[in-house]
Amino acid sequence: MSTTSRSQPRVSFASLTPNNLGTVRKLNSVLFPIKYSEKFYQDVLLPQAEDFCKLVYFNDVPVGTICCRLETVDNKTRLYLMTMGVLAPYRSRGLGSKSLEHVIAAAANNPKLKIESMYLHVQVSNASAKSFYERHGFKEVAVQQDYYKKLIPHDAWILERSLTDQQADK
Amino acid sequence: MPPVPPKRALPSKESSLFKEVLNQYETKQHKKGLKTADQILKKFPEHGETLCMKGLILTHMGRREEGLELVKKGVRLDLTSHIVWHVFGLIQKGEKNYEEALKSYTQALRWDKENLNILRDAAHLQTQLRHFDQLVETRHTLLRLRPNLRQNWIGLAVAYHLNGNAVEAKKVLEHYELTLKNVPDYDVEHSEVLLYHVRLLEEVEEFDEALSMLDVNAKSRAIIDRTAIMECRARILSKLKNTDEAEHSWQALIQQNPDNYDYYQGYFSNRGLDLYNITDDTHVKAMQILSDFSTQLPKAAAPRRLALEIAKGDEFKELIESYLLSGIERGIPSLFTDIKLLYKDAFKQETIQSVIESHREKLSSPAPPAPSSESEPPTTYLWTLYFLAQHYSFIGQHDKSLSLLETALSHTPTLPELFMFKARVLKRVGDPYGAARAMDEARLLDLQDRFLNTKTGKYRLRAGLEEEAQDVLGLFTKKDAPSPGADLEDMQSILFLTEDAACHRRNGNLGLALKRYHGLQKVFNEIEDDQYDFHGYSLRRFTINVYLSMIPWADRVRSHTAYVQAAIAASQIYVSLHDDPTLANKSSTANHLTGAEKKAKKKAQKAAAQKVREEAKKALAQTNSDDKGLEPGPQKDDDPDGASLLKATDPLNKAWTFLGPLANLDLKNVDVWLAIYDVSVRQKKFLQAVRALNHVKSLDPENPELHVRLVHLRHTVSSLPQPPPEPIGPVLSESLDKLLSPEVSLETYNSQYLQQHPTSGHAIFASAKVLRLLGATPAEEIDNTVFTMFNPDVQFGVDTGLDVVNFLKSIRSSRVEEFRAAADKKFELSTIFKSSTDIASLRHEAIATVEDAEKADGDKVEVIS
Repeated sequence: MSTTSRSQPRVSFASLTPNNLGTVRKLNSVLFPIKYSEKFYQDVLLPQAEDFCKLVYFNDVPVGTICCRLETVDNKTRLYLMTMGVLAPYRSRGLGSKSLEHVIAAAANNPKLKIESMYLHVQVSNASAKSFYERHGFKEVAVQQDYYKKLIPHDAWILERSLTDQQADK
Repeated sequence: MPPVPPKRALPSKESSLFKEVLNQYETKQHKKGLKTADQILKKFPEHGETLCMKGLILTHMGRREEGLELVKKGVRLDLTSHIVWHVFGLIQKGEKNYEEALKSYTQALRWDKENLNILRDAAHLQTQLRHFDQLVETRHTLLRLRPNLRQNWIGLAVAYHLNGNAVEAKKVLEHYELTLKNVPDYDVEHSEVLLYHVRLLEEVEEFDEALSMLDVNAKSRAIIDRTAIMECRARILSKLKNTDEAEHSWQALIQQNPDNYDYYQGYFSNRGLDLYNITDDTHVKAMQILSDFSTQLPKAAAPRRLALEIAKGDEFKELIESYLLSGIERGIPSLFTDIKLLYKDAFKQETIQSVIESHREKLSSPAPPAPSSESEPPTTYLWTLYFLAQHYSFIGQHDKSLSLLETALSHTPTLPELFMFKARVLKRVGDPYGAARAMDEARLLDLQDRFLNTKTGKYRLRAGLEEEAQDVLGLFTKKDAPSPGADLEDMQSILFLTEDAACHRRNGNLGLALKRYHGLQKVFNEIEDDQYDFHGYSLRRFTINVYLSMIPWADRVRSHTAYVQAAIAASQIYVSLHDDPTLANKSSTANHLTGAEKKAKKKAQKAAAQKVREEAKKALAQTNSDDKGLEPGPQKDDDPDGASLLKATDPLNKAWTFLGPLANLDLKNVDVWLAIYDVSVRQKKFLQAVRALNHVKSLDPENPELHVRLVHLRHTVSSLPQPPPEPIGPVLSESLDKLLSPEVSLETYNSQYLQQHPTSGHAIFASAKVLRLLGATPAEEIDNTVFTMFNPDVQFGVDTGLDVVNFLKSIRSSRVEEFRAAADKKFELSTIFKSSTDIASLRHEAIATVEDAEKADGDKVEVIS
């Protein structure tokens, strides 16, 4: 094998289990300025969340996570993106996009749950994150004031994307 | 047949009842058999054969002791009956007492020379005991009695072969093949016999015949194992010096399995080259061959790896560069393990270091502003760091290795290999607690990884955390076992038994340490016993070729590292118990248990008792049809702490049960011979002792421990009240004089040794031990001697330092603490020399938990619920 004709790096996803939760904890601890409660770790293991909570592997090494939860209010089900992150050395390689598209596809094609849309919070100081989500069809729908109690700035954008309208994908 | 003695003769009614007993035994109708036997015994209570049959049946029904009693009585009452001896033999065989069983079978055969069952069992016993002369005779008799049974022919051939007579074995096979008619096509058994025949021809160097036999039968499809045909053919052609055709055969084999090193070796030796000993003359040719194979077989690793062995200078640099970079890019975790054997060549070691270091520099320089999927993947950098960390630790630069690992962990904290290797480096520098913790961190990343789990268990044992080790090991053992340890022992886990024993020994719990070492001894006894079934099975199923490889393997099975280590350690413990029997009281287990440990132990005992009860219930439910067989069931563990082992009155004999089997294996292991010396000299077997020292001297003449033993032996012999009697005395003093000149006083000899090895810490330690042994030196001087180990140019390892601490403790030196503190300073990264209070808290921290992992998050202000 020569160095010039390199094979494409392998990107793959794995479901979360009680056994690999340690890896998720480790990733969360280095990726986010936020500590997650035990409730968070219980929720990501729920069977209905399996398709929307993943570990992201790059060449067989776990380097990122994406975790969502389902929220049903008034018979309407939405998917809330709780966390998504990739270790610093592995960024700008399309891993985040692949993860997000992976979950969006799983949610849009889910036969049992009718998931109408997907939404998330982005700190208002984080413009690059906002534009990342906008590239994937999300739109700003509101600003939630004082969403972060201790981080500064306190406010967050709410970004949302419809999952029922197939046109939105294109 | 001799006339039936009057005591055995039964009236016709009882006589037919006796036949019924035999019948009922054969058909396993034990209860009925018992009743019938009792009917006979009512009238003839002294009838030996009936008593034996009753005893045999009782043993099968689980009433072993009662049964054995009856059998012994029966034998005494009718010493000339083949039945009583056969029964006695069966019982002894069931107890794995092969020597005694064979004696009984021999007796039985005296009174019934042509009994097929007895002959067959006797043959198996003779094979198990390696009495091959007798085996040939027995197999001869069996063949004479039943020449139409195919396995009897093979049995005789194998017997001759085992007895070292391949020519006779070959003749038997030739006769056998003449008797065969109508062999079905594709018959595996016949194929095996023919391959065996070829193997015999090869062994007696009739290569032409071997080749033609192989070719004829391969063509007619009588031999169906294609790989065996090819291998045999290549080998024989080479031996026939039929170089071209042989080369062709080896090449075909390599094509078929390009990663089998033996094939390359065969190919090379056929071309007159020794693959593992390439000289300057053969170098170019060898490199050319391997390069050709590398081109032909782009996916094979073997030719590339072999070329690295042989290559020199720039040629090596070029090859290793592409080998390493391709391995790193593919993320092969075992890359370093694969190539570290090359490090015995200093040039290659340096080349590898410079190749990887420059690769790291290239990768760690600031990345281009927009990395794309085209640029080097980050995992390449990661595996480069991992490789370098292993490299530096291997060459002893552990601090550099640890800092590389920290860099790697901040790059990618989710790769278990990094934590695992960090654990290993910490273990090497003498920090077992940090090592256990790092391994645990790896385990928490992937709880279903059994390898990580087992490693954590092992590292916890190394850190003296016995209970905590069982906690993790228990995650993968049977849930209904009395304890994880019991299940692991049941499954013959050599790793667990060795490490757990060593852990107990370090913790000062000698009883349990011995118990585990005996557990390991039992594993090897069982492996030896397991052969027994194959003496019959392999002949019946004609799997002769593997069987003949298994026999010499079994002869040397105890040379396995685990057994050797256990034998050395167990004998050392027994020797220390012999020297100081009060140790047995000091190391009583109860003293070492903390409250939690006691509770856990009680729980385990309760669970064990519960299990025994359940088992008894189960057994009760099955009694109607249950045949307990002739092997004694699992014994009740009435010595859970090994206390009775500690109090054994014959510790030296116990030690010899471990070492004895090693004495004849001609092992190249200094520690084995030192252990053999230590036991023999205390048993007053002086010739055996001096022979052991001769072995050490031939292996490592300047060994510090040998120095101690030489003085010890001279000292011991000269303080005997009178020299050993002829012929031992003169032989002993002659051998001893050869090892250690009688002209020099032991004191002078000791100081000479010290002067010759001024920079070896172990040698200084040895001379201190000798001072102590000779007894004339004041304690301060012994202390002063060991403290010279801290002179700047003296070198020693963590293990030796630990041994010195224990030595100083044992002679009640006042400077133990001082030595410990100095060692702690010398071995900066170690923790093993910390004070006992420090160690207590280190042990506590050796267990990683989820909460700990998140301690790093403690300063995070935001908490999301």
